[in-house]
Amino acid sequence: MKDPMIEIRDLHYRYNDEKDALNGVDLKIYEGERIAVIGSNGAGKSTFFLNLNGVLKGGHGEIIYRGEKITKKNLNQLRKNIGIVFQDADNQIIASTVMAEVSFGPMNLKLPRQEVVDRVDEALNYMNLSEFKDRPPHYLSGGEKKRVSIADIIAMKSEVIVFDEPTAALDPLNAQMLEQVLEQLWGEGKTLLISTHDVDFTYRWAQRAVVFCDGKIIADDTPLHVFSNEEVLKRANLKRPMMLDVYETLTKKNILKDTQAYPKNVEEFAELIDKLSQQD
Amino acid sequence: MSKDRKLHSHGHGHEHGHRHQHGEGGFSIDVYAYASGLRRVNPVFKVLFAVFVLILTIGLDDPFVSLFVILTMAVLSIWKGKVDVRGYCSLMTIPIAFMIFGSVAIAAGFSRQPLGDYNLSLHFFYLYATKSSILKALFLILKAFGAVSAMFMLTLSTPASEIISALQRLHVPQMIVELMNMIYRYIFIMMDTQRKMKNSAQSRLGYCDFKTSCLSFGGIASNLFIVSLKKANAYYDAMESRCYDGELRFLEEEKKVETIEVLSAAIYLVVLVGIHIGVKCF
Amino acid sequence: MTTKQKRIFGFVVALAALFAVGPVSNAMHIMEGYLPGGYCIAWGVVCVPFLVLGYFSIQKRLKENRKSLTILAMCGAFVFVVSSLKIPSVTGSCSHMTGTGLGAILFGPCAVSILGIIVLIFQAILLAHGGLTTLGANTFSMAIAGPLVSYGLYKGLSKAGVSKRISVFVAAAVGDLFTYCVTSLQLALAYPSEQGGVAASAVKFLGVFAPTQVPLAIIEGILSVIVVIGLESFAKSELKSIGFLKEEA
Repeated sequence: MKDPMIEIRDLHYRYNDEKDALNGVDLKIYEGERIAVIGSNGAGKSTFFLNLNGVLKGGHGEIIYRGEKITKKNLNQLRKNIGIVFQDADNQIIASTVMAEVSFGPMNLKLPRQEVVDRVDEALNYMNLSEFKDRPPHYLSGGEKKRVSIADIIAMKSEVIVFDEPTAALDPLNAQMLEQVLEQLWGEGKTLLISTHDVDFTYRWAQRAVVFCDGKIIADDTPLHVFSNEEVLKRANLKRPMMLDVYETLTKKNILKDTQAYPKNVEEFAELIDKLSQQD
Repeated sequence: MSKDRKLHSHGHGHEHGHRHQHGEGGFSIDVYAYASGLRRVNPVFKVLFAVFVLILTIGLDDPFVSLFVILTMAVLSIWKGKVDVRGYCSLMTIPIAFMIFGSVAIAAGFSRQPLGDYNLSLHFFYLYATKSSILKALFLILKAFGAVSAMFMLTLSTPASEIISALQRLHVPQMIVELMNMIYRYIFIMMDTQRKMKNSAQSRLGYCDFKTSCLSFGGIASNLFIVSLKKANAYYDAMESRCYDGELRFLEEEKKVETIEVLSAAIYLVVLVGIHIGVKCF
Repeated sequence: MTTKQKRIFGFVVALAALFAVGPVSNAMHIMEGYLPGGYCIAWGVVCVPFLVLGYFSIQKRLKENRKSLTILAMCGAFVFVVSSLKIPSVTGSCSHMTGTGLGAILFGPCAVSILGIIVLIFQAILLAHGGLTTLGANTFSMAIAGPLVSYGLYKGLSKAGVSKRISVFVAAAVGDLFTYCVTSLQLALAYPSEQGGVAASAVKFLGVFAPTQVPLAIIEGILSVIVVIGLESFAKSELKSIGFLKEEA
């Protein structure tokens, strides 16, 4: 097995005098993975991401990036290579035009001007924002602001992109757009971590589901295994994905033969039904 | 994604519909500035030009110069800047309250005796005005409107963000520029939050009478402050996560200054001085 | 509500009704082009030492903690937004708070001088309230003189053992009135009367603006109190972080 890209060992973190927000987190992240991070509000997901990116410091534990232990000196290494798309785009967008906003990251990386221009153009193009280049963010819609906040990170060319509850404020159309973007980014070899409350999304999209509960990881497995584990579901207050329920109901009632197919989305399910009807 | 774009054009059209309703969404001046036909012009050049026109209007203190500036700046903003006439006129009325009060105070005086050319007896004393004082007030109104037009030429064609970056090039201290950049962005975020809170207060009859209005207003303002302080922290985190190291850097488009622009600006300023000298000679 | 507050409320309603406030918005910003060139420059120069002081105090704060930058910026935006909100009024006219008295009480007069001039620039650019040439004069009256009086009164009254609410009210209202007096004086200096000179002119300006500014100052005082009460009950820790509740911390 190859070495993990990022390894987190026994990470603890607490805000001021409150109780521990992270309480001994261990996680290995491999290159090119699609990981869903789930768990109820306040379980420590956002705190974990901020630690992962090096914004929050001073916790106990180690973060090892490509075999190198992260210290204060090479902290920027972490920030450069791990980008976070924050939940609320309005908390992330700081500049007054879309172009200036997307350039913020690359400018901070101290790239030559032409490189910055190229990256900004590329990122805007990627997110279909080129025509908004000179617009101020305050006259954009919610979906467009989200796209700007993603372009922000794309322009930094980080290897790992973390999305903190990306679909929280999006309408269905924009949520669909987001899923396409995720697919595309993953196809380009990015490692993706997404925190979400959407179990159906987790089930169909992720290769790995990591469940946070009270500052700890209580499960780390394929979505199928995680969602089949009643105890985990109960502890983390999770619902089961609809496709899983549908499939199991149908197999239990012997309407469908249990081939361990476990369709992840409606298309796969339709395919399964098609196959069955052809066999009959 | 094409559908999404349609969604946008709808949203933007809505913003355009606002007419001087500050406090209720976009600021009309800001909206005009982003859509201006003069936006391509170098902002430093526009700032300097506006400042020179302001200096001449105020320095020459000549009603003919003022009148000329009012007319030419209106033409420039409406014709080149593509601001609609009604919008321009309604913007011009913003300082009117101050102007009326101020000018009344300058034109009129009060005294025990009827000293002026026009006198109004108010039993205990006279309110009077002399022809020269009225003329003085009228010229002042013209001058002020000339100056306002010059300022509108700048603000209706240059978004605040570009004015800020022009200030940076004119060597305003870095810290002030950074604060201005952030404040500009936060203003819109807070207006948004405020609007939501106000709607929710209104939906619960928070503005049914004067006293309740005051309480709702105060409540919203204090809440706004708390929310924004919390946001300030989230903001800083987001900036740090993109390698912010204590200096805000943004990519700016380089807008070239055309020779013809400099030439016309110079001619315009010379014409202003010329009018002043001409009027004096005849 | 205490009986005192009720009485103040009654007083304001009576005052506002008495004067039937006209359609006035931020009437105390001296409009663009209204001051002669010499006065524009002179008032700008008068502001410089205060601004320099403010600049260094902010810089010191940032050196201690870089995070103050976003907080300061939020405070600036807060003053702008509060000053751009229509405040409740009996006659349905459109008036605004200055917000700087509240700012001075919360953030101290040094920070407010810098935040104030930035807010005034934005008011000129975005709302066409005030202007660029009159920036110096407006900064002096609204971002320096008013806040200084507010802050001084607030500290003095607090030390004298007056209750917080009354000190906030007096500080904000008197600060506002002081701003209005300074502005009138600024106008009078530039445009003295033919008979009676600056003094007579100042009386004229004071008189002309009084019907709008006196009720406004009282409303501003009341609103500042309500805001401070709201902040104290919900945001103790945030207030400590900006130094407002230091003495009790």
